[in-house]
Amino acid sequence: MTLLRNLARRRLRTTLTILGITIGIWALVVFSAMANKINALVDSGSDYYVGKVIVSDASSGGIGVGTVPIDLAVADEIRGLDGVAAVDPQVQVPFEDVEFAAFGMPKIIVGAVAGADQGLARSALEPAQGRLLAADDEGSLVTVLGSDLARELGSGIGDAVVLRGVTFEVVGILQPTLTAPDSTAMVPLAAAQDLFIETLPPKLGAALIPSELASQVIVYPAAGADDAAVAARIDALDAKVSTMTSADFDQQVGSTTLIFNAIIIGVAVISLVVGGLSVINTMAMSVTERTREIGIKRAIGGSRRRIIRELVAEAGVIGVIGGLTGLALGAVVVVLANELGRESGTILFDLTPVTAIFAVAFSTILGMFAGIVPAWSAARLDPVAALRYE
Amino acid sequence: MPLLEGRNLRKTYQLSRRNSLDALRGVDVAIDAGEMVAIMGPSGSGKSTLMHILGLLHAPDTNHGPAPELRFDGEDMTRLSDSARTRMRAGSMGFVFQSFNLVPTLTALENVMLAANYGGMSSKDARRAAGEALSWVGLAERADHRPMELSGGEQQRAALARALVNKPRLLLADEPTGNLDSARSAEVLALLRRLNAERGQTTVLVTHDPAVAASTDRTIHMRDGLVESDQLLAHVA
Repeated sequence: MTLLRNLARRRLRTTLTILGITIGIWALVVFSAMANKINALVDSGSDYYVGKVIVSDASSGGIGVGTVPIDLAVADEIRGLDGVAAVDPQVQVPFEDVEFAAFGMPKIIVGAVAGADQGLARSALEPAQGRLLAADDEGSLVTVLGSDLARELGSGIGDAVVLRGVTFEVVGILQPTLTAPDSTAMVPLAAAQDLFIETLPPKLGAALIPSELASQVIVYPAAGADDAAVAARIDALDAKVSTMTSADFDQQVGSTTLIFNAIIIGVAVISLVVGGLSVINTMAMSVTERTREIGIKRAIGGSRRRIIRELVAEAGVIGVIGGLTGLALGAVVVVLANELGRESGTILFDLTPVTAIFAVAFSTILGMFAGIVPAWSAARLDPVAALRYE
Repeated sequence: MPLLEGRNLRKTYQLSRRNSLDALRGVDVAIDAGEMVAIMGPSGSGKSTLMHILGLLHAPDTNHGPAPELRFDGEDMTRLSDSARTRMRAGSMGFVFQSFNLVPTLTALENVMLAANYGGMSSKDARRAAGEALSWVGLAERADHRPMELSGGEQQRAALARALVNKPRLLLADEPTGNLDSARSAEVLALLRRLNAERGQTTVLVTHDPAVAASTDRTIHMRDGLVESDQLLAHVA
């Protein structure tokens, strides 16, 4: 109580100091929430590749939607290799030609033969409404939509949706996964192959037979078989294809995660310096103003330790209030931005409890640390001289 | 054995590199338990410095002249650490100052409780003791007011309650009536007198007001950092 009264004595100054910390913590919260989301995306990406070898055309460079098709004959050759349990050829087609939201999850149309993975895909998708695609859907124009995509298109079961100029019937909507399938339209392989041909320049497209191409082939190594060994065998098979395992993915994407984590550390350091200095300044001024009061307390028997404790606690309270306000404002931004982003399927932030607790604890400790120096100098005052101070 | 006994008390303040002030130049003093003593003298005579040393706010100089002695209840005080002197001030001494020196953000009750707290009481005991001390100085109804809302006389009575809350062995008052008109002055002085008479409170007060000095038992006159005279007053002798 006394503590708050002391802070309230110089309301404007205390408010400004708290504001300084608030801004720092706000930035820390928002950036950390962004980093959480990106790390989660990378982890889920990394997760996606576990237990798989992705085979794509050597010239298309690995991750993402392969723009150069590979010949399905390759899939048959891979099927005959040692240590291969299942082969799942897929065709991925961009939902739209222009992708503005490069940052979020791209909307894609994925064609695959249902059941080709033979139940080996680690993350089985569940329908929220309707059903999943079945093997006998091949040849018909039906689709299962991801949760975000369904919301964006405003489609329900039985509705007709137009995917790249072709009308499909919606037979199912997936449960939200917070990862790539949320913005995916799943269609039978043959339908996707036709759509894919349409995306190619006419001359190139005319030379290809739709039913003989895939944009990538997902290979499931048999139990006990080594991903890398299987990948090596596939590479040896055909120079025109390249393989990617989860280790390759981590290597490629890990550096991106590092950059984001560095940004967060940078924000934390800046808020530490700015917030810390402003707390030191406030507390130093407060000590100067209260020199006489500190003299009184020392004279009547207040120990140095108590004086320090009192001032450090006061600085800590500045930190707590700044931290909580910063967290609250950060949470508002995160929630609003996610609500706005939901429309376009771009969810940028994930504010975890760990981030929230860390932010408040960080600013509290910061405040207390910054309070130590002024408190120490206050405790060293000569009581008699302090009593004479005007 | 005197309650408080000082010998060879000296204090030189270094004002600047070349300029120093010999505030005390070798003072011997002894105060018996139950005495009420006034220290008088013109400004600059060293009376406040003497009080600061007797009250353990400053230590006597040990780096020149004969070694000083300062005994409180027979115990040597010259070699105590800062924290030991702080504990002595909190537990065994009470201070009253000319300008009251209450903490402005705290109510009268909280000011008194603060001292009780420093003296080692739990908050419950401190609240009770503070309430009693304020009643004793006649300020029970004003206990929840802040210093700014109290008159000078009331503030000084609250400060007196604060000084008494730990039942100190020694009460030190530095010009306790210096900022008060004569009526308020008389009130505070009457309280100090009563305290001495009823409880045998050992009291040392610094004053330049002869009327205040006359109401004590003994007056020590100081001049230029030395004791000029030390006499029991007629009504005691």
